[in-house]
Amino acid sequence: MAGFAVADGHGGPYAPYAGTTLVINVPAHPHYNAMMKVLPQFTEETGIEVEVDQLQYLKMRERQTLELTKDEGDYDLISYVVFSKADYVFADQLENLARFFMNPKLADPAYDAEDLIDGYVANIGIAGGFKGYLPGATGSLFGIPYGSETSVLAYRKDIFEKHGIATPENYDQLLDAACKIPEVEEGMGGMASRAASGHQASHAFLLHLAPLGGRVFDDNWEPIINNEAGVAAANALKTIVDCGPEGSQTFGPSEAAAAFSQGQAAMFMDSIAFAAGFEDPTKSKVAGKVGYALHPEGVRRGSQTGGFGIAIPKNAQNKEAAFLLMQWLTSKKGDLAVAMAGGNPSRFSTYENAELNAKYPYSATFGEALKYADPDWRPIIPTWGKINADIGTTMSQVLTEGLDPQEALDGVAERARAIMDEAGYYTWQ
Amino acid sequence: MQTANVNRLTPYLFLAPAAIVMGVALLYPVGYMIYASFLDWNPSQRIGEAEFVGLRNYTKLLTDEAFRESFFVTLKFASIVVSLEMLLGVGLALLLDRNIRGMSTLRTLFILPMMIAPIVVGLMWRYMYHPTVGIFNRTLKSWGFEPIPWLSDGSWAFASVIIADVWQWTPFIFILSLAALQSLPQSAMEAARIDGANGWQLIWFVKLPLMMPVLIVTLLLRLIDAFKVLEVILVMTNGGPGLSTEILSLRISRTASEFRELGEAAAMSNYLLILLMILTAAMFLYNKAMEARAARLRAAAEADL
Repeated sequence: MAGFAVADGHGGPYAPYAGTTLVINVPAHPHYNAMMKVLPQFTEETGIEVEVDQLQYLKMRERQTLELTKDEGDYDLISYVVFSKADYVFADQLENLARFFMNPKLADPAYDAEDLIDGYVANIGIAGGFKGYLPGATGSLFGIPYGSETSVLAYRKDIFEKHGIATPENYDQLLDAACKIPEVEEGMGGMASRAASGHQASHAFLLHLAPLGGRVFDDNWEPIINNEAGVAAANALKTIVDCGPEGSQTFGPSEAAAAFSQGQAAMFMDSIAFAAGFEDPTKSKVAGKVGYALHPEGVRRGSQTGGFGIAIPKNAQNKEAAFLLMQWLTSKKGDLAVAMAGGNPSRFSTYENAELNAKYPYSATFGEALKYADPDWRPIIPTWGKINADIGTTMSQVLTEGLDPQEALDGVAERARAIMDEAGYYTWQ
Repeated sequence: MQTANVNRLTPYLFLAPAAIVMGVALLYPVGYMIYASFLDWNPSQRIGEAEFVGLRNYTKLLTDEAFRESFFVTLKFASIVVSLEMLLGVGLALLLDRNIRGMSTLRTLFILPMMIAPIVVGLMWRYMYHPTVGIFNRTLKSWGFEPIPWLSDGSWAFASVIIADVWQWTPFIFILSLAALQSLPQSAMEAARIDGANGWQLIWFVKLPLMMPVLIVTLLLRLIDAFKVLEVILVMTNGGPGLSTEILSLRISRTASEFRELGEAAAMSNYLLILLMILTAAMFLYNKAMEARAARLRAAAEADL
């Protein structure tokens, strides 16, 4: 308590909560490892202690599922993976943050919420608006992005220069480069991509669906995944996997990143969270040789939005202190501190910070990419788990068994409609 | 008279507490699962808040293509691995049932795989099957052959998980078969030899029939395990490519955690439970017949001597 600078007799926003111990639940993830490094600073400034329960993210979800149904939960603040937003909000298990931001004793006037990356806020934080999971006149804020991610293209500058290949700006160039590289660089795949059956193949397909102009559902929940854009996305993924490093069909994100960092592929298009690993010479053979570019344009620009947000459970014991921690972590100062420690920024201003750009030269590109982060690249609805798994196993059949993309997506659309019908999405039609 | 009644009841009274505890411990979870299967229940609800839907989960599964597919994959997987493991395990036991130098060391080596945690087995085989750095494809390439898509092609992936399971669980059959062999009555062997039986006839007409009761229990235990296998496949293929290795346990686990449909997952588990109960009952009936046959054989051998 020696360094506690606020509750020194002058009061201050943190004084009433000094001595409180918050229990927070976060995933084992590079961003949250970085957060652990800045938490002591929060305790020093506020006098609020923080106890961290860090779990592998699937285990974290399981634990939260049990915790959130209790009358009195153990957690004051939770990190949640983006698709949990649908489950937790729908089950009325997260606090609406409006009453905290309305409270003059809690809300920091310098917080500058407009500076938060809007694509992330829409995707991870807001529910109850358009389609139920996006902003809109009826939407509310339930969480704040923290450890959120978008997609960028990482590519081998040396290989591209050597063979005179331009950095892909659009999908035609991306697919051309993906299949040209194995021809000109022996033993090297074009692009390393997720493709393993299930969630990974679905994620990879959706990554191409949004920029190529597609969506899973239209605004009336009719599946349109099997339209021209859907087929184009499936074909793009098949081309990428066919021209990728050996065994691509079984890659999860770690394997795909490992293939790129070990020099087995010339491109990697996935979350920005992998960049730090690529630039670490102790783990990567390609450190210093990687260029970063925006997710190439299809019929539009549209990179993914994913990762994590933080929220206050309805059954938390110390909600106000938890809000103060949430606000501090996502403030300009907190966001910069976590970014400097290797985390993912949640604010535009952090990406523009000169100090951060000096330390991580790719930050400016990432900041630019966020302007195109698409909060609607996949639906965040309670039925998504089943539909996502179906897309993933079907897409895996396209990649490994030669199933025709149109036929595959027609089947997905039909099954998705049945799932949505059962869940009541066509009640008002 | 009264004393006689009390005496008859005494053992049951002593057994009652343990029987009640065991009964509750066994039946409560099963009862809970059966009850859950009649609910539309997601993990964000308490069980009391879930809607009662009767048999809907069961009927829905009958028309669920993915469930049917995983049921078929499970049947195929279990029958193939158990057949192969029985053949290899019993064969090895017959081969190593002799007293020569180094045999005990060899036996110990044979049972090592079953001591390894399934997750580790899955990881180990996954790396061995790796398309570029895995030992199999590296060996094939060094011999000038084309690499095999072990885990990235549906048929190969199915074969690959079978190989891993057979590698891990053949020793289980081997160790039980060997124990059964070594406890066979020597009188039966001697009688057969006196009657002029050669090695093959001794195995086929004497050893195997006498071992049959143990083999059936072994087969049953392995079959139940094979139907419930999860970790090795989860780690090696996660059910893919497509649905080619999505066994029922994996489907049940996904339905509960990814799809958040606990009622449907419970109904799937109950379908599996019913199937295993039918198999167990059939095995026990067959076992009874085999035990009677083994008893007759023993009696005949005793009479011969």
